[in-house]
Amino acid sequence: MHISDGVLPIAISLGGYAAGLAVAVWSAKKTRPEDLPKMAVVTSAFFVASLIHVPIGPTSVHLLIPGLVGILLGNGAFLSIALGIALQSLLFQFGGLTVIGANAIMMGIPALISGWVFRALSGRTHSNRVFAGALSGGLGIVLAVLILALFLMTGGEDFWGVVKIAMYAHLPVLAIETAISGIVVSFLGRVKPELLDSAFY
Amino acid sequence: MAVNTHILILPFNHLISMICGGIMTWVGCIFLMKKVRSVDSPYSEEERDWRIPVIDSQSAGDSPFHRWDPRIKLCALVAFMFCVASLTQIFWAVAALTTALGAVVVARIPFHNPLRRVAAIGTFLGMFLAVMPLTAVEKAGDTLIAFEGVDWIHFNLRGFYLALLICMKAIAIALLAEPLLSTAPFSVTIQALARLKAPSILCQMLLLSHRYIFVFQDEAGRMLKGMRARGFQKQTNMETLRTIGNFLGMLLVRSFERTQRVFDAMIARGYTGTWPNDIAFRAVTGDWIKGVFWVALGGAMWISDRWMVPPF
Repeated sequence: MHISDGVLPIAISLGGYAAGLAVAVWSAKKTRPEDLPKMAVVTSAFFVASLIHVPIGPTSVHLLIPGLVGILLGNGAFLSIALGIALQSLLFQFGGLTVIGANAIMMGIPALISGWVFRALSGRTHSNRVFAGALSGGLGIVLAVLILALFLMTGGEDFWGVVKIAMYAHLPVLAIETAISGIVVSFLGRVKPELLDSAFY
Repeated sequence: MAVNTHILILPFNHLISMICGGIMTWVGCIFLMKKVRSVDSPYSEEERDWRIPVIDSQSAGDSPFHRWDPRIKLCALVAFMFCVASLTQIFWAVAALTTALGAVVVARIPFHNPLRRVAAIGTFLGMFLAVMPLTAVEKAGDTLIAFEGVDWIHFNLRGFYLALLICMKAIAIALLAEPLLSTAPFSVTIQALARLKAPSILCQMLLLSHRYIFVFQDEAGRMLKGMRARGFQKQTNMETLRTIGNFLGMLLVRSFERTQRVFDAMIARGYTGTWPNDIAFRAVTGDWIKGVFWVALGGAMWISDRWMVPPF
């Protein structure tokens, strides 16, 4: 879910830009030049994930994967997500031009935290890693929804009804992201484990 | 319920007709979007449309927006967008929406491009329209609409106006994104952003990632075709999740290996982290006049919105 233009108070969307830019520059400083191709790939993956729909009963939800981005990129995750969000709003109007900052924070901060949690929890064994991956994937969504709620609540108490609905709507997303993150980490752990290890150095 | 709210009681059949009207509008919108999407789509009805819109599809055209120096265009239109985002009165939101429509017409952009943008924010905005009238906090001076027989449902007009305001502002800004972005090649727009002192790593990575999106999408399309050929069908079960997870993992591995090869080749050819930078921007008086016009228009709307009572 992306916040669209015209929803947030103007001070919040400008503040979001300033804060988002500051964290993105920090994140860029933390990225080694040789990691740029990986970042371009993960950014594209984050972008394209929003086109991959997973069916739930009669309806479907699309993937968000902030947790997975954090797992793959570590501290570079915020920059990657900010770029992905910018491209999504430039190309698709997912979100909007005046709220790129706010949306980047909503997805990017959870990605950073998920990455850190994954690093702290993932041990040597395969099942340990898969568990940490699933947990980080779920955590990414929980945090993103909480930040979304905080952003919407800055609009005043009239927005609280919408906040509640948005939170319930993300419950199936939470389940799916947890499962998918676990599965992707399991796959990468078997096929190309260096992708999981190289994020932190 | 707060004191001093006006309650309008309408007969029950009004509720029925409102619900029917809502459903019909919804179905109409979906039908319209199908039409818009199916313009030259190579995909059949059931398949998801995987095409990614080409951001600068109209860059070869000619209009005041095409001739405008991209640096000033970026600054002026983004400033105008922020002014629109800060509006608080329906009247000025309608004015902004009209201006945005005018800009799309002046820039000679075919209407299905901006329509696709509006469709992308449709679900999010629809949620506001559906939820806010029912959940907005009842304050003094609000007009509530209730229906005979089901008087526990209060339809708050103020909440409805608030949702409507949000929708109009969002659509106005979405429409303006087209004259802003599609009237110059994307690389030129990013170059202009770099000249405006945006961090160079952001601009580099925007261009690189924009390229890779299409590579990624091609790869994904090929893999999906293969999966379908082997009989894969999406269902609500663990097997589908596992398949999609492995698909995503494989996509990452393949794209990563390819990107690594391309990047090595770039370095071998002398890539040092910057592109050759040979676009010369030249701002003439006309560019500045257009810029001042948009900023002044945005500023005027913002000031009127704060301190002027609208004509109706």
